[in-house]
Amino acid sequence: MFKFTEENIKRIEKARSKYPTALAAVMDTVYIAQEQNGFISNEVMEEIANILSIDKVNVLSVVTFYTMYHTKPMGKFHVQVCTNVSCMLRGAYEIWDQVREKLGIENMHVSQDGKFSLEEVECMGACGYAPMIAVNEDYFENLSKEKVEEILNSLN
Amino acid sequence: MERIVLPDIPNLNQIDVYLTNGGFESFKKALSQSPDDIIDQVKKSGLRGRGGAAFSAGLKWSFMPKTTDKPKYLCINGDESEPGSFKDRQVFEDNPFQLIEGAIITCYAIGAKVAYLYIRGEYHKWIKLMQKAIEVAYDRGFLGESMKKTFGNDFSCDLYIHKGAGAYICGEESSLMNSIEGYRGYPRVKPPFPAQKGLWGCPTTINNVETITNVPKIISNGWEWYSKIGAQKHPGTLLYGISGHVNKPGVYELPTGILLTDLIFNTASGIPNNKKVKCVIPGGSSMPPLRGDQLEGIRMDAESLKEAGSAIGIGGVMVMDEDTNLLKVLIRITHFYHHESCGQCTPCREGTGWMEKTLHRILEGNGTSKDLDLLISVAENIEGNTVCALGDAAAWPVKFMIQRFRDEFEQYVKNEVTIPVPNKVHSMRNTSAPLANLHK
Amino acid sequence: MPIFIVDGHQVEFKPGQTIIEASRNAGISIPHFCWHPKLSISGNCRICLVEVEKMPKLVIACSTYASEGMVVHTKSEKTIDARNAVMEFILINHPLDCPICDEAGECKLQEYAYSHGKGESRFEEIKNRKEKRVQLGPHIKFDGERCISCSRCIRFSDEIAHANQLTFRNRGDKVTVTTFPGELFDNPYTLNTVDICPVGALTNNDFRFKSRVWEMSSTDSICIGCSRGCNTEMWVRNNEILRLTPRKNDEVNSAWMCDNGRLNTFKFVNAENRIDGTYLRFNGFLKKAELSSAINFTAKKIKEFKSNEIAFIGSAYATCEDNFVLAKFAKSLGVQNIDFPKHIALGDCDDILIMEDKTPNSFGAELVGVKPINNGNSFESIITNIESGKIKALYIIDEDIASISDKYEKNLTKLDLLVVHSSNENKTTALADVVFPSSTYAEKNGTFVNFNGRIQRIKPAVTTEEMDRALDGMNMSRWDKFGTKFDRWMQGRRVDAKSSWNILSMLSLHLNGKMKYDMAEEVFADIASSIEEFKGLDYDMVGSKGINLKIKESIKVK
Repeated sequence: MFKFTEENIKRIEKARSKYPTALAAVMDTVYIAQEQNGFISNEVMEEIANILSIDKVNVLSVVTFYTMYHTKPMGKFHVQVCTNVSCMLRGAYEIWDQVREKLGIENMHVSQDGKFSLEEVECMGACGYAPMIAVNEDYFENLSKEKVEEILNSLN
Repeated sequence: MERIVLPDIPNLNQIDVYLTNGGFESFKKALSQSPDDIIDQVKKSGLRGRGGAAFSAGLKWSFMPKTTDKPKYLCINGDESEPGSFKDRQVFEDNPFQLIEGAIITCYAIGAKVAYLYIRGEYHKWIKLMQKAIEVAYDRGFLGESMKKTFGNDFSCDLYIHKGAGAYICGEESSLMNSIEGYRGYPRVKPPFPAQKGLWGCPTTINNVETITNVPKIISNGWEWYSKIGAQKHPGTLLYGISGHVNKPGVYELPTGILLTDLIFNTASGIPNNKKVKCVIPGGSSMPPLRGDQLEGIRMDAESLKEAGSAIGIGGVMVMDEDTNLLKVLIRITHFYHHESCGQCTPCREGTGWMEKTLHRILEGNGTSKDLDLLISVAENIEGNTVCALGDAAAWPVKFMIQRFRDEFEQYVKNEVTIPVPNKVHSMRNTSAPLANLHK
Repeated sequence: MPIFIVDGHQVEFKPGQTIIEASRNAGISIPHFCWHPKLSISGNCRICLVEVEKMPKLVIACSTYASEGMVVHTKSEKTIDARNAVMEFILINHPLDCPICDEAGECKLQEYAYSHGKGESRFEEIKNRKEKRVQLGPHIKFDGERCISCSRCIRFSDEIAHANQLTFRNRGDKVTVTTFPGELFDNPYTLNTVDICPVGALTNNDFRFKSRVWEMSSTDSICIGCSRGCNTEMWVRNNEILRLTPRKNDEVNSAWMCDNGRLNTFKFVNAENRIDGTYLRFNGFLKKAELSSAINFTAKKIKEFKSNEIAFIGSAYATCEDNFVLAKFAKSLGVQNIDFPKHIALGDCDDILIMEDKTPNSFGAELVGVKPINNGNSFESIITNIESGKIKALYIIDEDIASISDKYEKNLTKLDLLVVHSSNENKTTALADVVFPSSTYAEKNGTFVNFNGRIQRIKPAVTTEEMDRALDGMNMSRWDKFGTKFDRWMQGRRVDAKSSWNILSMLSLHLNGKMKYDMAEEVFADIASSIEEFKGLDYDMVGSKGINLKIKESIKVK
């Protein structure tokens, strides 16, 4: 059974205090849950509904709308490659192919050892510094093939 | 020229540096005047929204009801998800306190006690930076209850960050409000407008990060000063984000109304390998693209771009050189709007997928010239018929790209199609016509 | 009232009414899928886009308020173009499976495809695939491909059923309706979503693939599941009820009914155990008999008892007419022991529709005189007095007393005479000396009075042996009209049964000649002339939506 840690319960209470309704804290709470559990299972959604006293379908509704919430486990390093126009114009699809081949996985798949997952993402707001990838929460910009190689090798 | 939103002052993101450069003096000045005076000054300054629609900020504020029992809210839109847009993150990184000061002046002017700063979820780094700045502001008494003591006035307000989670549509103001309330980011039917019924049904004003960051300077330097910068009808500076095929992409703060060619060839140092420009999207990927051979004289302000058949949008300029395959660009743009369509209303939900599928078919070599007409027609059927502007955003690139680059698109299609046609018939009428005839 | 102009017609509106509502009241219908008068406005389908002069863009009629002098065009070129565009968008991913879709014939999308569709599609791509045949809840299957994402079902379950069990999942053209994983769409009102689904995305398990809708007749009726008396339509094919659907009545049930009422109040009409003809006990066994000999026998037997040895039991399932004639019959014999059993399910109620009293006519039965006269025994003491032997003859209409408890069943065996009117075989008919076949609420005219004193009519939808669909003016399907006796679908069963008032009237005529009625209307006329609360009423006045009786406050309170 999924339970929030004491510390996370406090964080949820703090998030809750920002808003006049509990429902408004659902997005923050899903983030906290994802951080703790790695992904959002049905059980996690039930606990979120429980802790905020909201209907379960409201949690489901939100979790399946926003792309940054994952309902399946992702790799330890979630590699996101932007291929939107500005990046595409500066070689993003070459980077995409490079990362895909290097990691040996397809879009939204996880490597067998659970170390990597790959996602082709929409514009990340780095258009002036294209091409770019993000690994978990960190942006890597103004990339070349060599730099990508170096970044991927450094992930441990 | 002086930069307003991103001044050239080192370490301005440190509170003490910000304070030594006149930080929070604007708010003090604002407090000595009535909220209506503030709204009036912003109106007169000519400040127009930097989020895409370029609507008068002061006028928007004036829509907030003066007498209401309900709490009022300010939302600051830092969702920044339009491809080609990467300017707000620069504000979070380099000038967070001016954004905070702008927020509290705006709250004072419209009578809000709470402001939410909506930042896209992917901006983990900038959310942390902004959160840190907000905490510092609370600690120093520039936000929250202790403001009263700091400024010797009984006005106070809170500022919270709401973190998005990957949905372009949440940059649309009513989706943004639904997202804050904890719902899917579905746009709301308008009217009622946010000033009547916004967050939790209460009066709400929504402004872009860049818009709000302009406010302190308007108050401190006066509206006359501001109104004289840049284009007359669209004054001030813009954070131009230039990307794509230019030598020096990046964010540049320059006055409105500068020549597009200046921006590309001087500011961004021209096109790599001195290639020619084929296409420029001047305001973010949803704005109508311009032909590279028709850029002369176009200025970067709402009026001039409108006249040129496009729009200023968020000022994200995407440059494509002569070797660019526009079909692939259009597919990528259309894929984006298809992926980001919230699915609430029919034309956008169904139409974006249709356009993407047809474009892919053309790329696979199975398109005809008629399919280009069909795409324009589908785009026109989406345009103006949807709940929110995402429909237009998806329709315009398709419609205008094909119309303005028809010569190039004709090269991607054939005269006749040879593949079988599924799903031809929907109702009883006209079904006896041979399928082959339907293509003549 | 203020006025605005729709297609050149001056249309009055109440301030606060939207274009679609105000136009509708004036008989101008604007196409709509997501808008429903009883639900919040969503504005998502976009089919109701109309042109309004001085507005820069088309507006949706469902969310735009009418205003004085506003000029609306619902048939202008711009409007038609937008409507055609929306229709085309809805259809591109909609399966072309009308021939096997239950909704066909009453499908908004199908109707609009005829009136607003282009006839052929310009969509040449592969349609999107979604989940099909999802068991959404105990009574409902969901077809994701047929769904047009109008959100009516989601809004209904949240706003009307107060059960927030449905939501959209995913986004864009992958959006689909779902419950929380592992949970069912399960509340007392789920099947209303099937009614309001504008397409065939939600289908009723109980009705699925049973019939094309145009093969059935539909007749106004009243649900007998509880004392709310929800207005219904009874759908009949081949003289068999296939489904009930709610009929709008803002005074009673809005536009809804509960799943229990919808599913469990009509099957006994079709059941195998219907009593078909009259039965008399002969040598210990119930044998089929002529009605006239059963009447003779009963009349003769009743005379053998003193009036205080006889008791009558009416029924809150029977009509006012049946109960009135029973009470009048009892009175004519000087019998004071008359009452009816209550069927109360304590706690089984809500603040939406469901009532604790599980009968449709308690109020009516009592008003028309089925209650102990003077010192007569109430229902409970009738049973006790049967046990003690004081009551020797019992006459029951439409109640299965023996099934209430084993004790009751045992007591009934002590009677010297048990006469029962019943539509179906049950434990009570098994003990009876005479069983008269009573027709069900689906086979007769009559009235019920609901919990707060509203009198409502039922009409025959199913024919018994003595009836004729055409001659009796009943509603008919196309098959009823054009079928012949050689057609397979004209072979539906018709039972030999009569209304209880009719049987009682025949008995009375034989016994003491005090009553003679040929039609339910005649009984009702008698009620209207003799019972205060019904004064001045007739069937026409009761009409299709009922009318509130003038109930004295003293009666109301109890």
